[in-house]
Amino acid sequence: MVAKCPRSGMMGQIVPSMAPPPAPQQPRRRRDRLLSLLGGLALLVPLGGCTLGRELPNVIYVAIGANKDQIIDAELKQEFQVGLREVEARFRQIHPDTHFQFGLYPEDQMVEVMRQRSRSGLAPDLLLVNGDTVLHLRQAGLVDPFPIRKDQLAIFNEEELGRLRSPDGQLAGLPVLVQTQLGCFNRQRLSEPPATLQELLNATANGHPMGLSLDLYYLFWIVGSTGALPAIDKAVLGQPLNPADRQALTDWLAWLQNASNQQRVTFFPDQPTAEAEFKAGRLDWIPCRSIVVPQLRQVMGSALGVAPLPDGDGHRASPVNRLRVLALGPSSSAAGRRRALAFSSYSVNPLTQRTLTLGSQTVLPANRFVTVPVQSSQVLAAMVAAANQGLQANSLVTLVHSNDPRIPRLQTLLTQLVFGEANPNGATTELIEILQARP
Amino acid sequence: MKELLLEIFGWLGYLERPSVLLQLGLVIAVLLLTRRAQRRRWLQPLPLRAYAPVGILTLALGCGVLAGLGLPQGLASLLGLQWLGWFGISLLPQRLHQLESRLLRPAYLVGSALLLIREVDNLNDIAVIQLGEVLGVSVSFGKLFNSLVVIYLVLVGCGPPAAGVAWLAQRSLGLSDGSRKAMELMLRYLVVGLGLVGVAMHLGINSTVLIAVAGGLSVGLGFGVKEVFSNFVSGIWLLFEGSVRPGEVLMLDGDPCEVRSLGLRATLLWRNRDNAELLIPNQTFFTTAATTYTASDRMRRSQVSIGAAYHHDPAEVIALLEATALEVARVLPQPAPKALLLNYGDFAINYALRFWIANPMDNVGICSEVNQAIWQAFRRGGIEIPFPQQVQYPIAWPPEDHQSKQVNSI
Repeated sequence: MVAKCPRSGMMGQIVPSMAPPPAPQQPRRRRDRLLSLLGGLALLVPLGGCTLGRELPNVIYVAIGANKDQIIDAELKQEFQVGLREVEARFRQIHPDTHFQFGLYPEDQMVEVMRQRSRSGLAPDLLLVNGDTVLHLRQAGLVDPFPIRKDQLAIFNEEELGRLRSPDGQLAGLPVLVQTQLGCFNRQRLSEPPATLQELLNATANGHPMGLSLDLYYLFWIVGSTGALPAIDKAVLGQPLNPADRQALTDWLAWLQNASNQQRVTFFPDQPTAEAEFKAGRLDWIPCRSIVVPQLRQVMGSALGVAPLPDGDGHRASPVNRLRVLALGPSSSAAGRRRALAFSSYSVNPLTQRTLTLGSQTVLPANRFVTVPVQSSQVLAAMVAAANQGLQANSLVTLVHSNDPRIPRLQTLLTQLVFGEANPNGATTELIEILQARP
Repeated sequence: MKELLLEIFGWLGYLERPSVLLQLGLVIAVLLLTRRAQRRRWLQPLPLRAYAPVGILTLALGCGVLAGLGLPQGLASLLGLQWLGWFGISLLPQRLHQLESRLLRPAYLVGSALLLIREVDNLNDIAVIQLGEVLGVSVSFGKLFNSLVVIYLVLVGCGPPAAGVAWLAQRSLGLSDGSRKAMELMLRYLVVGLGLVGVAMHLGINSTVLIAVAGGLSVGLGFGVKEVFSNFVSGIWLLFEGSVRPGEVLMLDGDPCEVRSLGLRATLLWRNRDNAELLIPNQTFFTTAATTYTASDRMRRSQVSIGAAYHHDPAEVIALLEATALEVARVLPQPAPKALLLNYGDFAINYALRFWIANPMDNVGICSEVNQAIWQAFRRGGIEIPFPQQVQYPIAWPPEDHQSKQVNSI
């Protein structure tokens, strides 16, 4: 507007403009005016946001943590997409015009991603991550406390909720699902899955190739089976260890070394490699996570069998089951936060939980009032058994976060042990030192 | 594709957040104010180039205020840094202009866009979005993006390395400049070809399918873009043949022209006479006769013509002409200049002085120098360059009455 009028002096006389003739300036002026208009709109929108907000899509931004044994590729994205689209479709029956946009991030990068996006005010509305990750995020102030309703408190296991509370007593996230660790076997080769560690070794002696991953997460179940879990707990808590505890730890390490000496037990550098070998039919048994069962079934069909991990002599296996939690990002608008809370409530209601469990057969419900029909499905029965097995490891999972600097050191120690570079006695001493060195 | 569009459309939902709008508003306001200040010269003592840093500084202050208030400012800071980087590129020396416009600025824009996308989404996640199928191979966004980047880099970036290799080859094998330029061009074609094959392999396209498609396309090319294809093939052929290479001198409509570059469609020639650059379709050289001075060597035999009066001994004149040519610096001593008596003219004996020069493009200039030297030498030697003469006789009619006493010399 200013550019169009001649500038006036104090007495109203016309001040000659120094600008070039108007004709060539027209397109530029028009562009400037358009830019001014856009800029003005952008500045005004926060004030009139309620009006304009209605025209924007109602999107719930969800960041999903992918564990390090999951490769973020088209297949994984498709898998999540299919699962989420079903939930979205049902959720839209209650909340129409709501869309989901989800992004997959490696779980161990979640803190960094959230830190960066929170700085820009672009953090997702919801996060679906592991229980230990959400605590870490809450301690870093990267997720908001979850305002759980009193009626919702009762539907969760009190101990589980306790593990999700930050030191200030606030809830870091809402438990939604449990992913369990199982034993996957080839039915065509192995008629019965090994129920104990001894049966596992016997099966290998009878010519059945078994696979284990060097990933600590996939080896930890043996700690429980060999009876070393209380000793590990003590070491992590910094309590003194008696000779029996030391012996239990040595037994665990000795079993690992003994297994590596077996001709038909193969240790793989990571879990995806072990799964690939299993799919190719070169292994008869591997530890696996419930979430990969559909992928394995797609390749192996009815030959795939699923069972709880082998217990030990008088001791139960200690699989690390993952509690998947919904947490609230700190940057949501008021409307976005309402949508996120509505979806959180929806995802833990009994009907949704039951649908998720029965539909996917890869997760267990976090809602304790949802009964899992173990009689109708062997997979569900194995998962429930695994969930019970894993209860004993829950406290340790809370104490040692997946990003804990002790984990890479433990990983190195176990690798050395499996390759015969360290003996069980020496490794026990080092193991205790590592566990007692609090980060 | 639909999935990708939905993903991009979904980002609009972030505009619902006041903190995001505040940051965008701040950036847009500072940008507009800076532009206006620059155009109206609000900060008169400052040079025009200083306005952008002032704007960036203002934006940084705004971000500082937001941070002080505990509000998110990462997006505004990122945009400010990108603005700073863009301004930084404009400060590069003028001699890097081509690099700046073809490589640096596009690369910077792509990098900036990726950084902005990373603020709202996971790049890995977007990269695995399937866009569709090409020749039976599913193409993801990441693959397509990488392929386009590789193709662009190969097209733009293969020039300097190819020139470097050709220069090394010239130094080690003693090639001529023309051969060096031809080798450079062929290396570029080779790298581009390999790049395209590499991209096809990266996409996972089956070579059999590619060959089948190429067969089908060749028919289409034969009819549809015959001229373009013909020029391309002619260019490749001429390059391998070595008859039209950069640095060659060709006669075009009677003027010597130097080949500057041999493109995919046309050859760029430079005409010394008027400093014109001529774009000639490659197939012109392929189908019509052309005169070159640089096929086997770059020497040209040139010639100037001169007339001397009848009363001078032709042997003396010839010796003087040959000695004069040798005095001109740009005339080659070997092969030696040669003067010839061409004929007896109406008023002078006509001579030709032939001599050799190193660069055909310098012919006109050297001829001028030789002509000047001849004038000086004739003056010193007292040799006359006669004016045209004609003897006219007035004749009476009938011829019996004619008296040959009145003769007028003109």
